[in-house]
Amino acid sequence: MSILTLKDVRKNFGVSEIIRGVSLDIKEGEKHAIIGPNGAGKSTLFHLISGRYNVTAGTINFNGAEIQNKPPYEIARLGLARSFQVTNIFPRLNVFENVRCALLWSNGYGYSFWHLLGKQTELNEKTMHVLEQIGLKDKALFPSGELAYAQQRALELGIAIASGAELVMLDEPVAGMSHSEAENAVELIRRITEGKTLIMVEHDMSIVFDVADRISVLVYGEIIATDTPENIRANPKVQEAYLGEVVTSA
Amino acid sequence: MGMIKKLSVWIGYLIVLLALPQFFDSILAISIFNQMAIAIVFSLSYNMLLGQGGMLSFGHAVYFGLGGFLAVHALILIEFETVYFSILFIPLIGGVIGLLAAIFIGSFSTRKAGTIFAMISLGIGELIAATSLIFTDFFGGEAGISGDRTFGPLFFGVDFAQDLEIYYLAAIWVFIATVFMYLFTQTPAGRMANAVRENPERAEFIGYSARRVRFISFCASGLFAGIAGGLFALNYEFITEENLNAITSGRVLLMAYIGGLGYFIGPIIGAVILTLMNSLLSNYSELWMLYLGIMFILTVMFLPRGFAGFIMMHQTAWLRGNLKQLALPYLISGIPAFLFSMTCVAMIEMMQTEEQSFSFFGMQLATDAALTWIVAITIAVAAFYATRRSLPQLRDAWESANAIPASEKTES
Amino acid sequence: MLEVLIFATLNGLVTGLLLFMLASGLTLIFSMMGVLNFAHASFYMLGAYFAFSISQYLGFWAGLIFAPLIVGSVGALVERYGLRRVHKSGHVAELVFTFGLAFLVEEAIQFIWGRDTKNYQSPDILDFPLFTLFGQEFSAYRGFMIAISLGIFICLYRVLTRSRIGIIIQAAITHPNTVANLGHNVPLIFMGVFGVGTALAGLAGVIAGPVLTTFPGMAAVLGSIVFVIVVIGGLGSLAGAFIASLLIGLLQSYAIASDVGMPELLNLIGVSFESSHPLNDLWTLTLPQVAPILPFLLLVLVLIFRPTGLLGKREE
Repeated sequence: MSILTLKDVRKNFGVSEIIRGVSLDIKEGEKHAIIGPNGAGKSTLFHLISGRYNVTAGTINFNGAEIQNKPPYEIARLGLARSFQVTNIFPRLNVFENVRCALLWSNGYGYSFWHLLGKQTELNEKTMHVLEQIGLKDKALFPSGELAYAQQRALELGIAIASGAELVMLDEPVAGMSHSEAENAVELIRRITEGKTLIMVEHDMSIVFDVADRISVLVYGEIIATDTPENIRANPKVQEAYLGEVVTSA
Repeated sequence: MGMIKKLSVWIGYLIVLLALPQFFDSILAISIFNQMAIAIVFSLSYNMLLGQGGMLSFGHAVYFGLGGFLAVHALILIEFETVYFSILFIPLIGGVIGLLAAIFIGSFSTRKAGTIFAMISLGIGELIAATSLIFTDFFGGEAGISGDRTFGPLFFGVDFAQDLEIYYLAAIWVFIATVFMYLFTQTPAGRMANAVRENPERAEFIGYSARRVRFISFCASGLFAGIAGGLFALNYEFITEENLNAITSGRVLLMAYIGGLGYFIGPIIGAVILTLMNSLLSNYSELWMLYLGIMFILTVMFLPRGFAGFIMMHQTAWLRGNLKQLALPYLISGIPAFLFSMTCVAMIEMMQTEEQSFSFFGMQLATDAALTWIVAITIAVAAFYATRRSLPQLRDAWESANAIPASEKTES
Repeated sequence: MLEVLIFATLNGLVTGLLLFMLASGLTLIFSMMGVLNFAHASFYMLGAYFAFSISQYLGFWAGLIFAPLIVGSVGALVERYGLRRVHKSGHVAELVFTFGLAFLVEEAIQFIWGRDTKNYQSPDILDFPLFTLFGQEFSAYRGFMIAISLGIFICLYRVLTRSRIGIIIQAAITHPNTVANLGHNVPLIFMGVFGVGTALAGLAGVIAGPVLTTFPGMAAVLGSIVFVIVVIGGLGSLAGAFIASLLIGLLQSYAIASDVGMPELLNLIGVSFESSHPLNDLWTLTLPQVAPILPFLLLVLVLIFRPTGLLGKREE
């Protein structure tokens, strides 16, 4: 059962083609990694799926609904959540508020101006549960803009997964972290995406091969291979284009 | 702690509102309280836009003014017995009109925040103010329109002819409006307004249309601005074009900003301070607007979060029990700073007056004597120098009062 | 009819070029610093008042030279000691600061020069009709205004396209960070651009003072119109500001000169209304009445349908 299907998706910026006909099939429950050299268009692909950019051509199907060119909030409501490569939180709100905001829509509050948040015991408990998962429970009332970098990254993850979306997309979740921080983050990702579909862009190959069930290799806007980690490692095309040196050094 | 403490704050607020005329019952005082009541609701509604929602408006008077105009028209209808209802609900008419105007204008102006929103609000404000001058039948041209509030049905024998009676009516409305505006900040829509102010893009990725969130805040803000306009109509029984043009829009921005954006109580503080200054200082000096301008610029430069922000700055020191360490340094810097500003004020007044001598806090100053000027300039320079010299000490005291105690440091 | 058209065009040109002198400085400042300077027209007013005071002692021509220089220095000081401090609190704070400044300047001018209108006169040497057309005179002073404005426009254009500093400024408009990384002193450039921009506004005030009267409300009259122009032209586009200035100048001039109104229009389609109708004000609307509204109507429409303006590229 596939949850996300891209068919011949293209994206041009002016005359330059950044995504040149990507077709991809993500199965429900799988952990899928997208790798590729810098400038291959990985982040652009994420932006197309999550609605930040409109596609130039092609279709994106999520759980039976066509989502290309829909605004981000409509896509998010369908159960697709994402994180960002550059930390993207609500800096002057405290940690608790950050996560609670991310929970509001999926818990059916919509644009309500008649519910008092202080009285929504269940919502607040869920928020605390997410904070516990991402290890920020004791920072709940701390202004999120003043958190340490790794904690902000954890909050970034927390906002992405809070809504309980079926499909979680993480854009370089451990970028800029030290080795031990990254290890903790991978543990965290594994824990919080349990039973969900995960797509992630990541540069650290040890993490990619550790976490992913399948890997797609994106080179200059085209997917040159999609396969299991073992087969990707052995694929001569991939080795030629990109991987060889990295794998041996990793 | 939360529930009872919060409730007691609200009860205290209501008691203060209702008890004020017991302590100050002069005609002037009641008139000031009425102005304050209007200003509080108006600037709180402005804070919903700028402080809570991040939308800088240069045309907020539109909703206040339109609400006020319709409220005066409602008074006129009551007077000529076209309709018959109690004037208790006049502010609500203003509110509904403010809301309708906001629904219409917000439907296209809330697409973006930032500079674009500010420009649209400016354009709409000028447009409506200029248009109102053309339609003299409805808006009464430069002279405005007037009504009479005493023709409605009596409310337990009260006909609202007295300003004091209007004050109690206004106080109740202020209380209701404040409660609802506070509660709004505690709802999903209110909290998402903060989130959109902080980061509209991310808000879209957690399921919220930034535009829709802004639109809701915008409408709520228009509603309460209209209520303030209705209170204005009740209090003054007339309204002119000035109440929907850039002057009034600017005034509410000043009020909310000086009070402190982002803090719920900030605009209330701003409304109280500015109304007091407006009523009291304007009796003593023709130049009070100049002082207001200077005060505003200084606030933007040195206290970007206003008076409320200045008070809240001391929270850390207070929690650590170090507030009293700051008292002496504040006095050492504050006295010369105060002396400096008062000397400047004296000199400005001396330049302004055409009399040969005028009284300044009981002192008779000869404005044409060179000696007066030399003394004044000497005091000003000395006071300025003393203030500057004392600032490093104040800064040190501030840092030590806010420093993390050694015991906490070792824990974390 | 033709004479009305020609004079309306000439007057529209005078206003348009004058507006451009303000709008060009505002646009430069916005492009460089991202700040819409609310107080821009206040510097224009300061120019007129300084020139008035100088002209009392040294004559009009001394005012023409010194007043813009003084205004430019004041502008540079405001940038250095005011705006730069506020900058770290964000764009909204900057906008609010310039708003407060506009407020303060108006009050300060009333304090120093009083509330009355100043008798600031154009120089005698330009007090003759430049030409007479269909029995109507076009004053030499207006011709002088056109000449000065065009001269400034050409200078500005040449400086921006030919000189080294102009090229740095152009680069800073599109890529401020890169310019800083190349080792240019961006704060100094900011201060300079703010100074030059406000000096231009001051110059506009100097030459407009005698025609549009020098009084404490003169900034408010023009202030929002200039805002309208930079938005319609496209925030950050000098060419757009030029087109929009002329457009608004001509539009207002034609609207005032024409005496077409709703009654004429309604007569054309054979409709007439009783004067006692409650919407009487609407049926008797004339174009001169609507003239002050037109720029703002245009502003709102542009912002809704084309927020980038005529020639602008950036939205924020």
